[in-house]
Amino acid sequence: MMLWRQFAMEWRLYRRDRVAMFWTFAFPVVLLLGFGVIFRDGGGPKLSVVRVQAPAPGPQDSALDQALADVQLKVQTLPKAEAEARWARGETAAQLETDGAGYRLRLNSYLMAQAGATAGLVNQAWLMAQARLSGSPEPQRIPVSVESPGHKHSANYAAFLLPGLLGLNLVSMGLFSVGMVNVSYREKGKFRRLAVTPLPKWIFLLGQVLHRLTVTVIQAAILLLVGRLVFGIENQGSFIDLFLIMTLGTGCFMAFGFALSGFADTSEGYAAISNLVFFPLMLLSGVYFTLDSAPAWLQHAVAMAPLAPFLRALRAVFNDGGSLAGHGAGLAIVAVWGLAAFALAVRRFRWA
Amino acid sequence: MSGSALRIRGLRKAFPKVVAVDGVDLEVARGEVFGLLGPNGAGKTTTLEIIEGLTSADAGDIEILGLTWAKQGQEIRARIGVQLQSTSLFNKITPREALDLYGSYYPKRRGTGELLELVQLQEKADAYHITLSGGQQQRLALALALVNDPELVFLDEPTTGLDPQARRSLWDVVRRMKAEGRTVMLTTHYMDEAEALCDRLAIMDHGKVIATGTPASLISDLAIPSVVELTFEGDAPEPAAFAARLDQAVERRADLWEIPTPDPKALLPRLLEAAESAAVPFQQVHIRRATLEDVFLHRTGRSLRE
Repeated sequence: MMLWRQFAMEWRLYRRDRVAMFWTFAFPVVLLLGFGVIFRDGGGPKLSVVRVQAPAPGPQDSALDQALADVQLKVQTLPKAEAEARWARGETAAQLETDGAGYRLRLNSYLMAQAGATAGLVNQAWLMAQARLSGSPEPQRIPVSVESPGHKHSANYAAFLLPGLLGLNLVSMGLFSVGMVNVSYREKGKFRRLAVTPLPKWIFLLGQVLHRLTVTVIQAAILLLVGRLVFGIENQGSFIDLFLIMTLGTGCFMAFGFALSGFADTSEGYAAISNLVFFPLMLLSGVYFTLDSAPAWLQHAVAMAPLAPFLRALRAVFNDGGSLAGHGAGLAIVAVWGLAAFALAVRRFRWA
Repeated sequence: MSGSALRIRGLRKAFPKVVAVDGVDLEVARGEVFGLLGPNGAGKTTTLEIIEGLTSADAGDIEILGLTWAKQGQEIRARIGVQLQSTSLFNKITPREALDLYGSYYPKRRGTGELLELVQLQEKADAYHITLSGGQQQRLALALALVNDPELVFLDEPTTGLDPQARRSLWDVVRRMKAEGRTVMLTTHYMDEAEALCDRLAIMDHGKVIATGTPASLISDLAIPSVVELTFEGDAPEPAAFAARLDQAVERRADLWEIPTPDPKALLPRLLEAAESAAVPFQQVHIRRATLEDVFLHRTGRSLRE
C-alpha cells in the first residue's frame, strides 16, 4: 500500500514535468529514425576505395576496374590532386594508385575496420584481373553470406540497431538519469523531510525503480512501434520474453544507478563515478569489438558483467526469434547483479 | 504521561572546522514550549537535527519520550513532528498531495482538510508548491510537522523570513499546539518570539548552553533590570572615555549607547551631568526594561543579531 502510493506519486509528479517526459520518450525514437535513415538500404556502412586516375590508362587498369566492380566494391576515380586533398581531409579509408608497373594501396590508420576489409577485396580483384589478363582460369571465390548469430534472418542494419538502442537507452537511463536525479535531489535537500518520517528507504527506492521500470516499458513500446511502422522491423520472438528481458534489464541497471548514487555527494562527483562504470561496461561488453585477444582472466571477468548477456538475450529474442531457454545462465547473471545492486543501494542510500 | 519529553546529556558534535555542539545538557518537560535561543551559528540547528535523528552525534545520550534512537528509531519517528529550517519539497507537489502523502507514512494521522484549515492554506490546497509564497511554504511545513498528531514537535526557526502578520498567525498555531497538550521545542534568534512563546529557554552560543530558565527569571537574574539609552544622530561616538568618567559600563550599538543599571533613578542625574560637561552630542534619552537581548549581550559581550 505504502509502495503503491509512493509509485503513484512518482508518476503523478513525473507527468507534470512535461518537457523532461517528452524528451525521455522522444530521444530514442529520434536516434532510431536518424540511424535508420542513414543505413536505410540495409547493409550497414558500405565499403569503398578511392582510385587515383592513372596518367595513361592501359589494359591492366581496365581489367582491374572491371574486377573491382565484380567484387562489388564502390570505386571513386579521382584526379591525383583531388584524391590527395580528400585523403588529407581524412575522408578516404583506402586509396589505390599506380606505382611503377603495379599498384600501391594506402590504408587510413584511423579507419582500419573499413580499410582492412577494403584491402582484402582490392587484392581479390587484383588476383582476378591478373588471371584474366594472362588467360588463366578465373580464380574461384568462396561464397559469402551475411547472417545474424541466430542463423535465422539476414542482418538488416536497422533491425540490428533497434535492440541495441533499447539496451543502451535503459543502461544510460539507469546510470545517468536515475542516479543523477537522485544525487541532485539529495543535494537540494528534497529528501531531508522524508528522513524524519517512518518511511522505509527500501520502499522509497523500490517506488522509484518501479516508476522508472514502467517509463522504460512505455519507451520500449514506442520504439518498437516506430521501428515497425517506419522500417518494418518486427520482433521475431515472443513479446512476453521481450517484456521479461526488458524488465529484468531495467531493474538491474536502475538499481546500478541508485547504488552508484550512494557513493557521490555532488552531481559532479556522480558524473565521474557513473562514467567510470559506464565506459568499461560498454567497451568490454563485446558490443564494439570481440575480446578474443584479451587475457583469459579479463575474458572471465567480462563474462560475469551484466551488459553482454543482457544484450545477447535481447537480440536472440528480438532478431532471431529465439526463446529464453538458452539464456538462463546469462539472465541469472543480470538478476544477481540487479539484486546485489539494489541491496547496496538500500544500504548506501542517504536522505541528506 | 509523566517524565520528560526530552532529556539530553553531554551532547557533542564536531565538524572538520568547528565544534558545533560542545557538551549540551537539556531537559524538556511534557507539555511545555521550550526555546533554543542564540545567534546564527550557535549550534541550535545541529542540536535539533541530532535530536531528530538527521545527524549523528559524536558523544552524548538522548532520550525522546523515554525512547532512544538506537533501539526505537521507527517509534520515535512515528511520534515526533518536525519542521526543518528549510523544507524543500518537490516543485510540483500540491499542499493537499503533500499532506496526504506524508500522512500515509504514519500509523496515526490527522485529516488533510483539518490541517489545511489550521494553517489557513485551504485556498492554496491545489497549487504547486513552487508557486507558494515563503510564508505559505512555511505554513505547509508546519502542517506537515503535525500530520501524525505528534506528541513532541520540533520547529527550526519557524518564523524566519516571515512578515510580522504571518509571524503572529504562526505564533497562534504554536500556542494551539501547547493547548492541545503537545510538547514543542523551537529555535529562534528573535528574542521577542522567545519571550512571547516559550515557557522555558536555553540560550546557546558557540555550541554551549550559557543559560537556562524561564524568560522572566533569565532577565531578573541579570540584576540589571533596566537599560538607559542615549541616541545619537548618525553613528554613536566611542564611549570609552565617557564610561571611565561615569565609572559605569557603556556599550556602543550603531547609533546609541546602552548603559545597563539596576537603578536608573540614581543614574540619570549623574549621567546627564557628565554628558553635559563632556559635551556629548546625544539627541534623546530612553529608559527601558532589560530584555533577553540584554541577557545575551551580558553573557557573551555580543548582540544576538551580530
